[in-house]
Formats: sequence, structure tokens, C-alpha cells
Amino acid sequence: MSIKGGYFMKVLHVDLSECKTHVEEVDEEFALKYIGGRGWGARLVWENMKEDTDPLSPENIIVIAPGPLSGLYLPSAGKTSFCSISPITGIYGDSNIGGMFGVELRQAGFDAVVIKGKAPELSYLWIDDDDIQLKSAGKYSDMGSIETEHLLREDIGDETVKVASIGPAGEKLVRMACITADWGRNAGRTGMGAVLGSKNLKAIAIRGTKDLPVADLPRLTRASDKAYRKLSQHNLFEFWQRQGLMSVIDYANTAGIIPTHNFKDTHFEEADMINGDVMELEYKIGDTACFSCPMACGNVNLVKDGKYAGTVIEGPEYETAAMFGSNVGISDFSAILRANYLCDEYGIDTITAGSLISVMIEAYEKDLVTLGELDGMALNWGDDESIMEMIRKIAFREGVGDTLAEGAYGVIKRWPQLAPLVNHVKGLDQSAYDARVAMTMALGYATSDIGAHHARAWPIAKELEMGANWDLNDKADLVIYHQTVRPLFDMLGVCRLPWIELGFDENTYAEFFSATVGIEFTLEELLKLSNDVYNLTRAINIRLGLVRDDDRPPERVFNDPIKTGPHAGKVLSRDEFKEILDIYYQRRGWDQDGIPTDETLKTSALEEAIEYMKPKRKAV
Amino acid sequence: MRKKLTVIPERCSGCRVCELVCAISHAGVNNPKKANIRVISLYPHPVIKMPIVCEQCKKPKCREACPTDAIVVTDGVVTILEDRCVSCHACVGACPIGAIFVHEDVETPFKCDMCQGKPKCVSACPKKAILYVPEHTLGQAHRLSSALQYANMQEVEYYEHGVKKKLRYAEIETGGTRGDSQ
Repeated sequence: MSIKGGYFMKVLHVDLSECKTHVEEVDEEFALKYIGGRGWGARLVWENMKEDTDPLSPENIIVIAPGPLSGLYLPSAGKTSFCSISPITGIYGDSNIGGMFGVELRQAGFDAVVIKGKAPELSYLWIDDDDIQLKSAGKYSDMGSIETEHLLREDIGDETVKVASIGPAGEKLVRMACITADWGRNAGRTGMGAVLGSKNLKAIAIRGTKDLPVADLPRLTRASDKAYRKLSQHNLFEFWQRQGLMSVIDYANTAGIIPTHNFKDTHFEEADMINGDVMELEYKIGDTACFSCPMACGNVNLVKDGKYAGTVIEGPEYETAAMFGSNVGISDFSAILRANYLCDEYGIDTITAGSLISVMIEAYEKDLVTLGELDGMALNWGDDESIMEMIRKIAFREGVGDTLAEGAYGVIKRWPQLAPLVNHVKGLDQSAYDARVAMTMALGYATSDIGAHHARAWPIAKELEMGANWDLNDKADLVIYHQTVRPLFDMLGVCRLPWIELGFDENTYAEFFSATVGIEFTLEELLKLSNDVYNLTRAINIRLGLVRDDDRPPERVFNDPIKTGPHAGKVLSRDEFKEILDIYYQRRGWDQDGIPTDETLKTSALEEAIEYMKPKRKAV
Repeated sequence: MRKKLTVIPERCSGCRVCELVCAISHAGVNNPKKANIRVISLYPHPVIKMPIVCEQCKKPKCREACPTDAIVVTDGVVTILEDRCVSCHACVGACPIGAIFVHEDVETPFKCDMCQGKPKCVSACPKKAILYVPEHTLGQAHRLSSALQYANMQEVEYYEHGVKKKLRYAEIETGGTRGDSQ
């Protein structure tokens, strides 16, 4: 077995405290066992971690890892993962980014970058092929992400340079800070921007010129030519280019799963004022795509008049439109664009920010916080100006924003009475799909390795299609299947949307991968490796103190029936959840406390984790 | 019939598939930076994505600038002859649209050769932003919009099977000749 392509077999290690870099050769076993992207990231985090590492300390590492398919001629190969111990959850975290950034890193000749330590002053990392420098970023201090990217590129004097940066929120260690590249593509979740901030690293700029290694380029080209043709023939292809993920607003509202007023409800009366049609007809000025992606789901929008006139933003996609639309009661699309712009420029996650702001609105509505605790600023549903001000306060840690900047746990710590209102799992706020209508979605959120994010499992559509009354065993299997196949895309460095939205055959990725590395892999073999990584991130989390009780969906899922819409009256049963969690653990090969069994760890070639799990197991 | 590559920047999403297929077919490697076409993305003021590719000028500035007569026009395609080229890059700076490219691995500057009349970027572009059209159709979009500007467009609403519809038509009589201030 010998790798003939797909990898440079090189990882760049950067120690910011020492201002030193070195390149490590990767061995084949490591490369193929963890594939790349989040797989490599999780493995490197595992090797570096200690049980008591503060995520915002210099000891924590952050791994930037595209995958072996990133940058290649195949559909939607522009993904890069950022992996670390998350400052918002305290457990394993990763978030990926589209655009071109990871492609440039690969062209510089690196499969991944591992960053540790803390720079003595605010700095940026300049990777110019093999020439690596740490440079002062003093002049970019407190500058927005988009502006930083623009100026840095101008200062370097090359429009092809790719930049990933943090905004002021990342510099101020706001725990929901994101990393932004390519003018508004964000690694939004799990606070990866705060990790960069804690390291005094404002940005990473890259210029790469190298050929990407491919074992059998004609074979890859043949498979890809066919793949592009197939995608372009799908009857929704052009619709996707036009509206992208914004089309989900109508779907989610009709299906009764759109978060409304802090997830109190799942149907928004004014959804047709914030949907894809409104965007397309009144705001859209351009399409944008990640590297090699034919779907071009990105939309560039401009507000032409009104108080937010002049706002240009790539976005929103569904999550942002829902979290800063229905979920905070905003029905003015231009205000959503403004909120999106502010979050991107300041560098905070729109899902977490939208969620926590809606929590404060509900808290104020129910008299659970005083006007004084909100710095004297009344917060009401749909009050866009106060909502914009809250975004700013979070990003700059001002007044009440300083508490929100600490994330879900920070809010609950200060106001324990708000615990039932905060829709989170393990400290990560829930994405914009309500779980009350689907046990599989609740289980997916509850057992996601990074907290309540839909990236790992999105079984809600399937459950709505099937109806709720099917076997719990099958439901648990569906969640595990999602949690296995979806992260595989993040390991390969590609986007999952062609598969999800345009029915692209997932087996094709085995063909792409085999042609690229020159070794034959089946989809089943790749899925096994993805499942192994899921066991690895579980082991990381168990080491960090995760227990069964952390695997539960937001409280509202059990005790607050949906108010209106097709699912009015619906809540999930706590007993049934306990039952499906038992089944899920058993089917995953985890014990009833959610700890992978020795046998499971052996099957996943993670024998070294066994000793770490031992002290966590309850005495039998 | 002589054809020409032309781009519609409004359609371009910036995905760079054109760069990929070009580099793979011409340089034989997966390296978009070795493509004979390059997508420029400007943001946010203004927002433009635009593939830059040789216009195959009939009086090429690059040929004028070349000190070694290495640039010739054959069958409408501007070509750099590798054996005559000294790689001084004068052509790169002379091209008014920046469509001649350089890469440190490659000795000679490179540019679009129109793929022997079957440009790969055209068939590969997922947004149909690159067209290969007969020369005489160039400027057609502007001609059409001129015609539309001349006419005084009106809308009439009507109902068909109970559904409200709109019809657009030109009120020629109330229009005006170009430049007529009325």
C-alpha cells in the first residue's frame, strides 16, 4: 500500500510563543487512517490534549485541515476544517469553512497546519509557499474581518492571496467568535475565532503555487466530468444557483420546524417576507460559489434603501435568516442582512448570537431579567435596532454583551432562571431546526460531538416524511448513519450539499478518493474510518468529563408544546428519549454511560484510548 | 465562421472550474494557477467576478511588445512560439486586459489557445458565464438593450383562468428617437 496522490504528506507546525515553525512528514498510516480534515484534526487534538487544558490558553492547539480532495477538480472541493478544544463548550470542537482558503493552503504544499502557543503581540501568519513568516498585525487590531481581508490582500499586493481572519470579537475572546475567509465564508461554530484570538493571531494569509498531487488525474477527470454533468441535469440545479439555502425558509415554515421567537413556536406568520423569493427579487446582486462548486449557493445581497442602505453581504443562508429573522421576530429582510453583516464583520457566529439574543428577548418578555440588567435597553421581538446593538455589545463585550459573550453556559451561570429558555446542548446553541417534531433530530443534537449543531445529523426531513411512528431502533440507526456519512465529507475536504440537495451518489466520493490516492477504497471502508473518528471525538469528550447527562436535547423539547402550525401541541417524551439513547449507545458500542467499550475502541484501532476510559467508568 | 470567447461577468460565481479544466487539459496538472484563464473577484465595492481570458485581438498589443517576434496570429488565435520566446514578459505587461499569465514552474508565459475551436471552459462553466459565439454577435446584448430603451415599455394586467398576469409591450408612438429631448 503506497499513497500516490492526494497528500503532500506535510504538516506545518507553528509555535507562536517561540516564533518557530517546522514541517513534519506524515506517515501513510496516519494519513489514511484519519483521511484528512476533521479526522486529522481530531487525531492531532487527541495527541496534544490534557484533561485540564484551558481552551483559551497557549497550550490548546488549533488545527487547520483541508482534506485530500480539497482543491481538486471535482464538485464542491473547497472545504477546510478548524479543530480544537472549544472555548464555548469545553469539549472537542470543529467548524469548517468553504471558499478558497484551504485550496490555497494545499497549493502552498501543506496538508494541514497546527498552531500552538501565543504570539507576543497581535500577529498574522504569512504562508508564501515554503516561506513562513509571523508578522505584526497591529494595524489590523479591532478591524472587522472583511476589512482585514481586504487590507491585508492590498498590503501584500496580490489579489490571489487568500486570507482567514478574526474580527474584534475573536480578539476579545468572545466565545462564539468565528473565523472568516473569502469575504464572508465562516467557520462559525464552536468558537474557533476565540482560539485564534487567545493566540494573538489575527489572520492567516496564504499564497500557494504548487500542483496538487493526484495519482490518476485522467481517471479523476473522467469521474468529475460525469459528476458535473449529472449535477447540472438535476431539475433543482438552477433553482439552487438562484436561491441556495435560502429556499429552506419556505420549506421549514411549511414543515413547521422554523425557529420562531426563541424556539417557542415553529411557524412564522411573516416567513414570506424573509424567504428566498424576497431575497432574489429585491436584494440579490450576485452569485458566489466556493472552489469548484457548480451549485453556487452563496448569494451576495445589497440593501438599496432604508436605514440599512449600502449594506453588502455574502449571505444570509438559511440558518442566519432564521436565527435573525423568525427567531428574533424580525420580518424585515434588510435588517437580517444588516445583522448578518455585523456578525461577519465583528466575527461572531450568527446561530449562537441569534439564539442568545432571542433568549434575552424572551427573558425580558417574561420579566426574568430587569431593564437594568439589559443596560437599560428594552429588548422586544422584532426590535431590529436593539438587536443590532446587542450584536455590537456581544462582539465588544460591553455591558450585558459581556455575559452573552460567554455563551450559553455564561448566560445560565449569571441567570440560572434562564436555563429552561436557553436552547443548547453541551453549551452550543441549537441550529435553526426545531427538534420537538422529530425524535431523531433531538437525538442528533443530543449526541453530536460538538453540541447542538445540524452538521452531524439532519434526520428531521426524513422523519417528517416517514411520520413519527417507526421503530426506535431504526431511528437510532438513521442518526448514526447521518453522523457517519456527513462527517466523512468534512474529512475529505468537500461539501455535502451536492449529496444532500441534488441527490448526488455518495459512492462517487470513493471513486474520487481512490483515483486521487491511487489505492482502492469503497464507500463502506471510508464510512468505517469516519465512524472511527466519531469514536475518537467521543473519547476526547469523555476524557474532558462528558457524562451521559450531557447527551440531552434542549429542555424546551420536552416541556413546552409547539404553539401553532402543523405540529401544534407537540413535545417529545422524556421516557422515550431515554429509551432511544439506550438503544443509540448500544448500537454504537458504547456502554450505558455513553463511554465507548474496550471492544469498540479496539475495532476502531484506538487501543490507546482504553486506559483513559478506565477511570471514567463507574465501578460495576 | 470565426468565433470568439466572451464572458458575462454578471453570471460568474467565481467557482474557478474554468481554471481547473483549462489547467488539466493544457498543463496536465491539477493547478488552477497554471490555467490560461483566471477568475478575478472583487468585493465589496464593487462586487464583481470576472473570468479574464485572451480576446484574440486582431492587432495584438502583446505582439507589438514582443522583442523577438515570438507572438503570431494563426487562424485568429494569438500564439506564443516557445522556441522564439525569451520569457522577458513584455507581452504580459502589454496585454490591456491581463490575459497572459506566468508561473514560476513554466518557462514561457501562457495564454488561451481556444482549445482548437472547442473551448473546455465554455462547456464546463456551471453558470454559462463564458460563451463561444460567432464574432458578428458580439455587442448583441447592448444592441438589444438599446432597442428596448428606445421603446417606451408599458405593462398591461389581465386575468387568465382567474390568475392575474402581466404583459409587457412597447408603446412605440410615445417613445422618441434617440437623443430626442421631447
